Amino acid sequence: MLAVIPVRHGVAPVGSDETVCEALGNVLLVGTGTATAATSLAHVATQIWLVESSPTAHVIAAAIAQVGLTAESLILPASPDGRDLAPQLAHHLQRTLFAGSIAVTTDKVSVARQGGLAIADFTPTTPFVATLQIGIRGIDSHGDEPVITTVEVSGLSAPSRASSVSSVAVLPPDASTMDLSEAPRIVSGGAGLDSGQRFKQLQSISTALDASMGVTRVITDRGWAEHERQIGTTGVIVQPDLYISFGVSGAVQHTSGLGQPEHIISVNTDAHCPMMQMSDLAIVADANAVLDELAQLLGVNVIEGAS
Amino acid sequence: MTDADIIVVGAGPAGSCAAIAAARSGKRVVLIERGPFPGSKNMYGGVIYPRILDELIPHWFETAPIQRWVVRRSTMVLSDTGALNIDYRSNAWGQAPYNGATAYRPDFDNWLAQQAVAAGADLICSTTVTGLLRDDQGRVCGVSTDRPDGDLTASVVIACDGVNSFLAKQAGLYPTADADNYTLGVKETLSLSKHIIDERFGVRDNQGVDIEILGGTSGVNGGGFIYTNLDTIAVGVVLKLSKLSAQKKRPEDIIAELKRHPAIAPLVEGGQVVEYSAHLIPEAGLEMMPKMVADGLLIAGDAAALCLAAGIWLEGVNFAMASGMYAGQSASAAINANNVSANSLKSYTDRLNKTFVLQDHKKLRKIPHLVLSDRIQHKYPAFVTGVVERMFRVDNPTPKPGVRRIVSQERKKAGIKLSELVRDALTGLKGFG
Amino acid sequence: MTIAVCIKWVNYSGPVESDTPDERFAGFSFADQAALEWALRIAENSSDEVLVLTAGPVGAEAVLRDALSRGAHRAVRIDIDLTSDSSVIARNLVGAMSQPRMVWCGDYSNDRGSGSVPSFIAADLNIDQALGLVALELPENANASFAAVRRLDGGRREQLLISGSAVLSVEGSTVRLRRASLKNTMSASKQEIQVITATGGRMDTPALRPYRPRPRVTLAPIGLTALERVKHITDTSSSKGHGETVHAEPSAAATLILESLRKWGYLP
Ligand SMILES: Cc1cc2nc3c(=O)[nH]c(=O)nc-3n(C[C@H](O)[C@H](O)[C@H](O)COP(=O)(O)OP(=O)(O)OC[C@H]3O[C@@H](n4cnc5c(N)ncnc54)[C@H](O)[C@@H]3O)c2cc1C
Ligand SMILES: Cc1cc2nc3c(=O)[nH]c(=O)nc-3n(C[C@H](O)[C@H](O)[C@H](O)COP(=O)(O)OP(=O)(O)OC[C@H]3O[C@@H](n4cnc5c(N)ncnc54)[C@H](O)[C@@H]3O)c2cc1C
Ligand SMILES: Nc1ncnc2c1ncn2[C@@H]1O[C@H](COP(=O)(O)O)[C@@H](O)[C@H]1O
Repeated sequence: MLAVIPVRHGVAPVGSDETVCEALGNVLLVGTGTATAATSLAHVATQIWLVESSPTAHVIAAAIAQVGLTAESLILPASPDGRDLAPQLAHHLQRTLFAGSIAVTTDKVSVARQGGLAIADFTPTTPFVATLQIGIRGIDSHGDEPVITTVEVSGLSAPSRASSVSSVAVLPPDASTMDLSEAPRIVSGGAGLDSGQRFKQLQSISTALDASMGVTRVITDRGWAEHERQIGTTGVIVQPDLYISFGVSGAVQHTSGLGQPEHIISVNTDAHCPMMQMSDLAIVADANAVLDELAQLLGVNVIEGAS
Repeated sequence: MTDADIIVVGAGPAGSCAAIAAARSGKRVVLIERGPFPGSKNMYGGVIYPRILDELIPHWFETAPIQRWVVRRSTMVLSDTGALNIDYRSNAWGQAPYNGATAYRPDFDNWLAQQAVAAGADLICSTTVTGLLRDDQGRVCGVSTDRPDGDLTASVVIACDGVNSFLAKQAGLYPTADADNYTLGVKETLSLSKHIIDERFGVRDNQGVDIEILGGTSGVNGGGFIYTNLDTIAVGVVLKLSKLSAQKKRPEDIIAELKRHPAIAPLVEGGQVVEYSAHLIPEAGLEMMPKMVADGLLIAGDAAALCLAAGIWLEGVNFAMASGMYAGQSASAAINANNVSANSLKSYTDRLNKTFVLQDHKKLRKIPHLVLSDRIQHKYPAFVTGVVERMFRVDNPTPKPGVRRIVSQERKKAGIKLSELVRDALTGLKGFG
Repeated sequence: MTIAVCIKWVNYSGPVESDTPDERFAGFSFADQAALEWALRIAENSSDEVLVLTAGPVGAEAVLRDALSRGAHRAVRIDIDLTSDSSVIARNLVGAMSQPRMVWCGDYSNDRGSGSVPSFIAADLNIDQALGLVALELPENANASFAAVRRLDGGRREQLLISGSAVLSVEGSTVRLRRASLKNTMSASKQEIQVITATGGRMDTPALRPYRPRPRVTLAPIGLTALERVKHITDTSSSKGHGETVHAEPSAAATLILESLRKWGYLP
């Protein structure tokens, strides 16, 4: 297996280290500033190939042919760049794509389904392309220096068409995002909460507990909170000490962005959902009613007419 | 030309049957429902008496989404610690032509509305009717809705928008609203495995049970019920609104208490609440019925307070289906006659008068108020169960007392005057008999 | 020219993937709704036709009618098993849109959730892609290039300039889908929907099992003695609780939360 990591200006996407571990240390870095990125992955990689060229399916296909790795299955991190590239690669190489895997070996791939609440196990028989969810594997580093090889891709014909999507700039996380990704305490809410108004209450309760508010993808979809509040693979990756969730099921795309909090409290009506399973204190109750009670105890934002 | 011949507001049992009947007679029918699909917001206890469908949808029982066929009907009188149960079983009710059936309203209403669509009606969901359109002579000629560009014209509008009908009120057809005319129905759906339900209720396959309960409502005037679905049971109470607010009790607490009653607890034990819902019921029958006909407008189902809520009877769906059907037929006939005035549409109420719809209501006119009266509610359960308790209690060495003595002693203990007992018995006899 | 919008018919009440979702609770995701709205907005300022496509069984036509009622011009359903592989879905969708000026998608579907269909579409059409957009600035002139912002990881954003044919996928909160007028809702139920039989087999989907996080690999423990290393791994010295599950009334739950926070030192 071979990890394929698209690199931007020397930065490898979140989850690259885990992807490299899953590929047993073999990694092809492709993009700009691959040598810099290589140092950041040295602790997990054993074999690194550097391709300093735009990370397109053509380039990667040519590179793996050149170094004789055409029989390897490819793993990419399920980061935005990885998720974009993987289908292109699969299409170009005419391979099966396993998107959103949670475990990848050469003969068994487990893929998250149903929004991350179920797993499907595939047993591929030919080389494939997979993306690996971020944050679920962990890393096992080693002390050895990796072997680094630079690959000059040659014989590529120029693209036959003009590009219609061009990158103008990469913006750093803005202040409100930073606020969440660096917050030591996070109080979050998910689809178990009953209204947009709830999130105003949740915000006040977070503030009263000296915490920042986070939400799940379902909530930003409903427009009940800003994008910047979304925790998870496609949201903000956070690293809190304390994480309190209300009505969050704990789908892998959410929890994978959660880091390793010291303490987790969850309130959910379903005692068996993944979020409750990973909690230090799992309370089976109606999260909305509990929020009302908390608001009352903390003397903040009591919703009118609520019980 | 109008956008439609007939607009039916509300795809509940009344509305769908109105639409089926009207579409069958070749009219252009638009059926408007505010929920995302028919039945999505509708609730009730759980038993439908669908025989009226024989006329509209032959062989309805082959496709209707039925949970269980009711083969056991019990009436339970609860005192604090006791229960008197009158139980009737008929396996014949479990076969065609059937009697009552339990069904989920989101399934049943949706199925019924699809029959209307099959008959040619246009069903439009997620659309709330916000008012009636009137022509320059004040006759109803369509509806306005909450959608952009949302006015729709028609020759006749049939309002089937349920209890507390906004349209009937807007049309000025309701006498003044009185909270005393309404009860609040509250229901919990509890999940239990089919196997456990079969065992506990003594039924097999798709046989079901209907239990109506008198007493057990924590002193608030009303009654209770338990119905079996395939793998859930419905437990609910019907509470007199005025008493509920006066006693400051919460309906969910009353259900909880009912579920703790020694006669009920073994039936509901271990059931996980999967749904909780509440809905108003027009209780007062004839006494509260509005005018059901105006120029270009008919009112049917709960919107016309046609629900029959008389103690051991809680029937609304069949009354809704029948009145809807008659409304659809009358509207269509009026359009054929090129006259949709109130006078021409009056054939609707004539039909209601001739059939069970108003006949039953007339017969049971006094029953709702009798059943909900303080005396029946607070004194009779103790009285009745007291009598039975003493009849079956063996107090050896004391010899058995005579039944007449027991009745008279228990009546006094319960604080019921003989004259009252006689009066209630007569009202009951007249009403039920 | 044609602006294609791909919408997927999914069970809305819960994220359950199946051949035939419960039709009463089925609809299309916020993300697909947003995709449709953007397409409609662009078409309003141009002479483009909005073509909505869905790949799925006959029940899926409900979402096409919904889209038509909100202003889409033409609808195509590809008759296919919903559990088919994303690349097969994409190939069939592409087969039903000829030379689209742009293709709009949701950024991922509620059930399958791979987010790969849009990218496969781009690959099949051999055009560029701009995926996971969180903000867009539509130009006055529908044919001019326009700016969009896409999510990267760690809170970073990428600004893009879109100047030609491309596949665009958007997050659900970028825009709210308009409500259909009453007349359109009525006429949509009678509009024709073209049905195309899918080509390419379905991939067998293995049985699903409940999600369980995989064990995380951790770094080798630090410590001179075996005891220290074991302590380090097992975390025995930390104050961490032991995954207690309690059923509680709301008020008791609230008190319990505050008590625990006090016990763990987060509150005075
Ligand atoms: C490619 C991709 C990327 C994604 N990226 C992200 C991401 O970055 N971040 C993210 O969060 N998600 C992401 N998702 C979505 C993710 O898969 C889940 O759908 C989402 O996290 C679920 O959010 P939720 O827990 O709020 O909702 P649900 O999964 O619907 O869970 C709601 C929970 O509330 C509980 N509940 C219901 N009622 C009550 C009540 N009254 N009281 C208490 N509890 C109640 C339920 O038991 C349930 O556990 C992504 C998905 C994909 C496919
Ligand atoms: C707790 C309880 C238990 C009951 N038990 C039973 C029982 O066991 N058996 C029985 O036969 N009956 C029972 N009933 C009574 C029965 O539910 C009603 O009589 C019956 O539903 C009436 O049907 P309907 O079509 O008139 O009105 P509804 O079923 O109320 O339908 C009205 C429809 O109109 C729609 N609507 C309302 N306003 C608008 C608007 N402005 N625009 C568009 N659409 C609108 C609603 O969404 C709804 O779909 C019970 C009722 C309750 C509350
Ligand atoms: N069966 C389908 N029919 C139409 N569009 C689809 C289908 N599956 C996926 N899509 C589109 O692709 C997006 C991403 O889906 P997915 O790749 O399944 O996560 C969806 O939001 C849709 O826009």
